[in-house]
Amino acid sequence: MKTVTRPVAMAACVAAVAAMGAVLLVPQAATEPEERAFVTHSGAVVRTTGEILDPLYTASDVEFDPMEYLREFHGGRVSALPDGRTLREFTIIAEDDRVMEISPGVFYNVWTYNGTVPGPTIRATEGDIVRVRFINNGDKDHTIHFHGIHPAGMDGVFEPVGRGGGEFTYEFEAAPVGVHPYHCHIMPLEEHIVHGLYGAFIVDPAEPREEADEMVMVLNGFDTDFDSENNFYAANTVPFYYQHHPIEIGLGELIRIYVLNMVEFDPINNFHLHGNLYDYYPTGTQRVPSAYTDMITLSQTERGIMEFRYDYPGPYMFHAHKVEFSEKGWSGIFLVSDGQ
Amino acid sequence: MRAAQALVPLALAAALAVYVLAPGPGLEPPGLVVLPEITIEQVEFADGEIRASVRNTGHVDVSIAQADVNDRIQPSAAEPGSRLGRLAQATVRIPYEWNAGEPYEIGITLDDGTRFARAVEAAVPAITADAQTLSYLVAVGACVGVVPVAIGLAWRPAIARLRSGARAAVLAFAMGLLAFVAADTMRESLEVSAEWGLDSAYNGTLMAVTAAALVFLAMQWASAAMRRAGAQAPVAIAVLVAAGIGMHNLGEGLAIGAAAALGQAAFASTLVVGLALHNVTEGLAIAAPVARSRVGLAGLAGLAALAGLPVMAGTAAGALAFSPAAAAVLLAAAAGAVVQVIASMASWMRSEGISLSGAPVLAGAGAGMATLYAVSVLA
Repeated sequence: MKTVTRPVAMAACVAAVAAMGAVLLVPQAATEPEERAFVTHSGAVVRTTGEILDPLYTASDVEFDPMEYLREFHGGRVSALPDGRTLREFTIIAEDDRVMEISPGVFYNVWTYNGTVPGPTIRATEGDIVRVRFINNGDKDHTIHFHGIHPAGMDGVFEPVGRGGGEFTYEFEAAPVGVHPYHCHIMPLEEHIVHGLYGAFIVDPAEPREEADEMVMVLNGFDTDFDSENNFYAANTVPFYYQHHPIEIGLGELIRIYVLNMVEFDPINNFHLHGNLYDYYPTGTQRVPSAYTDMITLSQTERGIMEFRYDYPGPYMFHAHKVEFSEKGWSGIFLVSDGQ
Repeated sequence: MRAAQALVPLALAAALAVYVLAPGPGLEPPGLVVLPEITIEQVEFADGEIRASVRNTGHVDVSIAQADVNDRIQPSAAEPGSRLGRLAQATVRIPYEWNAGEPYEIGITLDDGTRFARAVEAAVPAITADAQTLSYLVAVGACVGVVPVAIGLAWRPAIARLRSGARAAVLAFAMGLLAFVAADTMRESLEVSAEWGLDSAYNGTLMAVTAAALVFLAMQWASAAMRRAGAQAPVAIAVLVAAGIGMHNLGEGLAIGAAAALGQAAFASTLVVGLALHNVTEGLAIAAPVARSRVGLAGLAGLAALAGLPVMAGTAAGALAFSPAAAAVLLAAAAGAVVQVIASMASWMRSEGISLSGAPVLAGAGAGMATLYAVSVLA
């Protein structure tokens, strides 16, 4: 029998060690990649071993909750003034260093009022005194410019509030009745608006509107690559959010939407409702609707109030009928429930 | 011990590299912003699906966040994954019922919101390695490569009967053709680099120069080796010419295949016509050195195959798996090979007693360049 020589034994050992090393160092190559599936626009199911890039149908956690924002109204700290009128005090803090995941996997530097885009929805009744303590914790000058009726010195244009903690108190009587935008008015203005410094300001009539399920929809867009064209559109910031998180509403219940168009770059935006029509009150200033329609067109900062009820249960889309916008995120679903 | 001393600078250089690259030494300029960069290298139209091949050609890692078709967001999947290190590649699969013949723009948005796009002039079904494709490749390979070169070789008997002045002019004409080919191929390499964003990732221009120089040196070695092996000088030259043209044709084939795969049908057929004409004159360049040598029909066929067949391989590679970096390197390498062939021809002609500064050579070389320039403009 042939004896195993020392060099052969050495070579065998080295080979064995090398083989073990190879197995240990490249375990990925040995394991079978996991398969996942996703659904296309047309309903087809596609399987992949890779990563799914799907802002449309995949629910995802974002730092801002559009569902919470939808029905969140801030009335401020309420107290009575000596003359009997109501004082509503708000504190709004501007920042410009936050990075938000505005769409799954896409990160963008947003400039915020109280940490979100849009900023908080401020609500008062006509005749109330609104007092807003504004603190600028950003690295740039900012202001709040309210649309509505107020003295020139409260207009938030000629009184830049300094960076790093500057303060200003805006005070005026809430007027007129309706829904209005507020936004920063520092130059370059477009830059300050498109980064997210805007929100809705609602003035209720002294004689309240009919009880309803009320919502705010700020129609906005984001130009994430700074080419003066929006890469994303949405109702309330997050593209496709209400499409994969349908808004549940009651059958026959009165729905009131305060809608406000803050999209820049594109001259118009619009709002189309499926399976229904709505009474539309431009700017919300009149009690008589201007139209009974399923389609309104809104220019920059144009806004109004929509009222409707659904007669049949089920899912109904609402979206921009400028389809480019809806295919880039501005679309959602109302899920009408009959309580079953 | 001496050998160990040679390692000292290497070890010190490695230590310096570690220091520079390690976090913390503060060698990055303050406020440094490194922008991400990706290249969409290929867009394929499969059954109910568009596939984009994406490569990270920048200097930082990137994450693919979403895909769009004509600037409209679509659900998609990145395989093997969406996170790409430097030069890493992913295939983004976008289920989409595309329409044949229509133009599309495929966009990829990264995690920082930057969108990159590639336009496709007309959607055509992805070429697959089936019988129809193979017959197309064989037809193109034959029409563009082997047949035109063989036609050019048919000038050989005529060249053989020429007087010495006219023969010098014909050889110089071949050199002029080759000089044009070298310049043209180098330009194409640089164009590929520019079009596919290879400059930032691969230092495209110097990659081309380096590839050309390396192949020049390799061909120099090969020609010396052939001579040492006892090959006749003219035959060796003809083989080198054929090899150089073959490399050039490989690159041209890539261009045809890529154009066909990208749906640029008109562009692809223009390339086919241009290259076929081009190759007739290149057949002449192969025939000229061996006009008076004893080369059998088999030898001539071999030369035609060496110069012409690579078109087929190039077309297949370009159509089925186009790689911009490989195309740029191949084209530049062909330029280097052709320049070496010109140098070999020049020294061989001098050894044959032909004056390189004589009127026949100067006129012939000029005519060669001018001819191919005319072909490039007219075809």
